Amino acid sequence: MKIKLFGVLKTMIPGGRDLEMELSEERRVKDLVYSIQVAYPQVGELLEQKKVLVSVNQEIAHWDTVLEESDEVALLPPFAGGSDEAHGWMGGR
Amino acid sequence: MAVELEESMLVRVQQENFSIDEELERVRSRSRRIGGIAMFLGTARDHSKGREVSSMSFDHYEGMAQKKLKEIRERALRDFDIIEALVLHRYGPIEIGENIVLIIVGAEHRAAAFKACQWCIDELKQITPIWKMETTPEGEVWVEEHP
Repeated sequence: MKIKLFGVLKTMIPGGRDLEMELSEERRVKDLVYSIQVAYPQVGELLEQKKVLVSVNQEIAHWDTVLEESDEVALLPPFAGGSDEAHGWMGGR
Repeated sequence: MAVELEESMLVRVQQENFSIDEELERVRSRSRRIGGIAMFLGTARDHSKGREVSSMSFDHYEGMAQKKLKEIRERALRDFDIIEALVLHRYGPIEIGENIVLIIVGAEHRAAAFKACQWCIDELKQITPIWKMETTPEGEVWVEEHP
């Protein structure tokens, strides 16, 4: 599954390209986050702190959102305008 | 079809600069009931958080950014006593002094136009997936927030 990257995240991944991740059997956003934490700890830390959000099909996702192979998934760092509110409601695991 | 085309021109994310006069006319021409127009224009400034900024560049999430701007226009039309709203944001490299973002709101009276215009820009900054990178003497910096 391809994961789109934006802004500062592009500078944190070698090559700055989109991520290619295997979807685990559980298929939930939190499982994907765990895989990212293992492969890219620096990005994983920002996800853990809710500084980076996950969007699925262009909507902010919850940690329990179930993923399909065809879903468009992206990692969204804080927006240029300041998005504490949007970045604060993702919900814990 | 013509109506759809006209509406799509009222919410845009684009690389090229825009003409404020043309956009103002786009809103004004939507209705002869409009009696007050409020506008917010965001431009590129040459400093940020005590640092000099020589240029900047905006990254955006194609599709989602447009979707969020459309949502902002629709909510403004629904929640405020206004007649029309236009929301534009540029992406890509932008020189100091250039236009970045434009909100134009037309209403029968000024109070609603001012309120809706402020709400639109505040909301845009909160929910639109657009990221700013500034070039400073220390290098390139991704900006997290600017109230």
